[in-house]
Amino acid sequence: MSLKIALASFAHTHAASYASLLGGMPDAEVLSADPDGASAPDAGPRGADFAAQLGIPYVDSYDELFAWGPDAVVVTSENALHRELVERAAAAGAHVLCEKPLATEVADGEAMIAACEAAGAILMVAYPVRFSPPYLRLRASVEAGLLGDVFAVLGTNNGKIPYAARQWFTDAKLAGGGALVDHTVHCADLIDGLTGGASPKRVYAAANRVLHQDKGVDVETGGLVTINYDNGLLATIDCSWSVPDNGPTWGGVYLQVTGTNGSVEIEPFLPHVSGTDPSGEAYLPIHDNFDVSMLATFLGAVRESGRANAGTTPAVVPQPDGAVGLRTLRIVDAARRSALSGQPVDL
Amino acid sequence: MSQELAGLTVGLIGAGNIAHLHVGAWKALGARVVVHSVEGAGELADHYGLEVSASLDTCLADAEFVDVVTPSVTHKEVTLAAIKAGRNVICEKPLTLTAADSHEVIAAADAAGVRVYPAHVVRYFPAYVAARQAVRDGRIGDVAVARFFRQASSPAGGGWYRDVARSGGVIMDLMVHDLDQARWLCGDVRTVYAVQNPPTVEGQSPVNVAAHVTLTHESGAISHCRATWAAAGTTFQSGFDVAGSAGVLKYASAADSGYAEELQDGAPAGDLLIPANTLGESPYLTQLREFAVALRGGPEPRVQAADGAAAVDLAEAARASMETGRVIDMKDFDPTGAAA
Repeated sequence: MSLKIALASFAHTHAASYASLLGGMPDAEVLSADPDGASAPDAGPRGADFAAQLGIPYVDSYDELFAWGPDAVVVTSENALHRELVERAAAAGAHVLCEKPLATEVADGEAMIAACEAAGAILMVAYPVRFSPPYLRLRASVEAGLLGDVFAVLGTNNGKIPYAARQWFTDAKLAGGGALVDHTVHCADLIDGLTGGASPKRVYAAANRVLHQDKGVDVETGGLVTINYDNGLLATIDCSWSVPDNGPTWGGVYLQVTGTNGSVEIEPFLPHVSGTDPSGEAYLPIHDNFDVSMLATFLGAVRESGRANAGTTPAVVPQPDGAVGLRTLRIVDAARRSALSGQPVDL
Repeated sequence: MSQELAGLTVGLIGAGNIAHLHVGAWKALGARVVVHSVEGAGELADHYGLEVSASLDTCLADAEFVDVVTPSVTHKEVTLAAIKAGRNVICEKPLTLTAADSHEVIAAADAAGVRVYPAHVVRYFPAYVAARQAVRDGRIGDVAVARFFRQASSPAGGGWYRDVARSGGVIMDLMVHDLDQARWLCGDVRTVYAVQNPPTVEGQSPVNVAAHVTLTHESGAISHCRATWAAAGTTFQSGFDVAGSAGVLKYASAADSGYAEELQDGAPAGDLLIPANTLGESPYLTQLREFAVALRGGPEPRVQAADGAAAVDLAEAARASMETGRVIDMKDFDPTGAAA
């Protein structure tokens, strides 16, 4: 049975990866819409032009997209617009894969979870690093007790500022903030997965705007977020957009996990061949595309669960689910408030 | 021996871990070393060919200046005794275990016209020197976010390190290096936020423990120091990541030393508590030479008593932050030791 998968919006840069992977699946039909693309201030193509470039079918409006009767919807809009599209998808009886962060406000995230629950729809959050081989091995080692008791984590998700391709990432209203919103959640998700969903208890964030002042950016571009969890775990996440524009690669994710029997460090995007070329440092990534495994997990769950049925629970609830999305969003929200007040925030 | 250090006699007080590195440096500089210690002076003297001084007073009388490498809790008392005897002092970090004591030591030294140099040796490690110079030269623009880390095989399984009243705990003992580095690289500190896991209970540090401290600086930079007393046998490691408006700097001691070994039978043990196996000139030697030359009338060294006191202030502010769960504003923080 072929699945009908709708791709809602090309606002997020990850939409291109999802589109090309979904478009290449023999047992999936894809339809896309990006009605807000025409008015976006982005230099690159959006809307029908972008769909043509990606080689996937396109309709002009979300009405047409949802009227198509998709089995699943992949939401890759601006962060602040996730809620509306997720609620429409749930109302249309479709399962949802929502780009991270789940939303820009906690209340939106709660409403999205409620809408999907009521519709019997899957709500999965697109955290692909969870599916990377280094992380899977780390998690297996933690679960096997090889690290002893884990007591501290340092995470970094540093990257280039996502500015040139999609300008909304630096729009406080559409993105919900700057680097704190864009880059805290991946590491927070990885920690969530290691702890089996420990809840944040206290969050402190220091943020500044020293980086990228030449671009007139008015959201925070640098940030350090320290989290105390209810199980005692201590973690700090550096979410700064601190990879220079001329860096050899976009950035990466790093996690150091320390336990009483030793520590493990992972850098899922590190595997690469290095060298030089006429423009300077060459960097040839050789790691898997983690989106492949993430999409396979989502679509496998959609296939097994069948159409969303209001009042029932999906047969398979793939992780990371909406609850993970909400816990990680709570960290972002607390970090934003802490950065404003200059004091830690208790949850 | 260099001409400027001819005829030098150093009074070494203490004979523990770090004493070996200092003795190696003093011997390389051609100095005569007279050692006094409650424990271990004889063995140290036999091993390196030093002279033992039976009492602190005779050691002070014999020495041109003293090098204090005793357990942290005795730094104040020994340093004050040396100041009273009119001897200049080189003192291992932390200068003292409380901000109040550091300021008392500095006041006594000033009154006696004696100099005190705290041994913040990381200021002499080439990677840290190079990074600071690059920042001062403007090579990465304005510093935005700096991260420092330092981990050691935990010394808190036994002995005096575990007793926070004697060691100060992982922040005062280990992170104090990076608190100094954060100040050295990013400038004066505006606020301090600190967390530690597991917490210290009834004055006893956990054996395995991590502390994370976030600083905001007057310059607008933010920085993070992470110190870990890790599982027994963990190799000593340190490093930094500094992001500026025009570039980044990174260093990790494990990856960037230019030497890696994978030896089986007979392999030497790696560094556990102290980065002793540095390549090239020992930073401990660089440091002690700079101090000794300064005490002989040469240029002042790159680290001063006030820097040692400032690092202790920050460590104490970190403790106050952990106790209150609040961010400590250094403007309101009483440097005599009471949390504002």
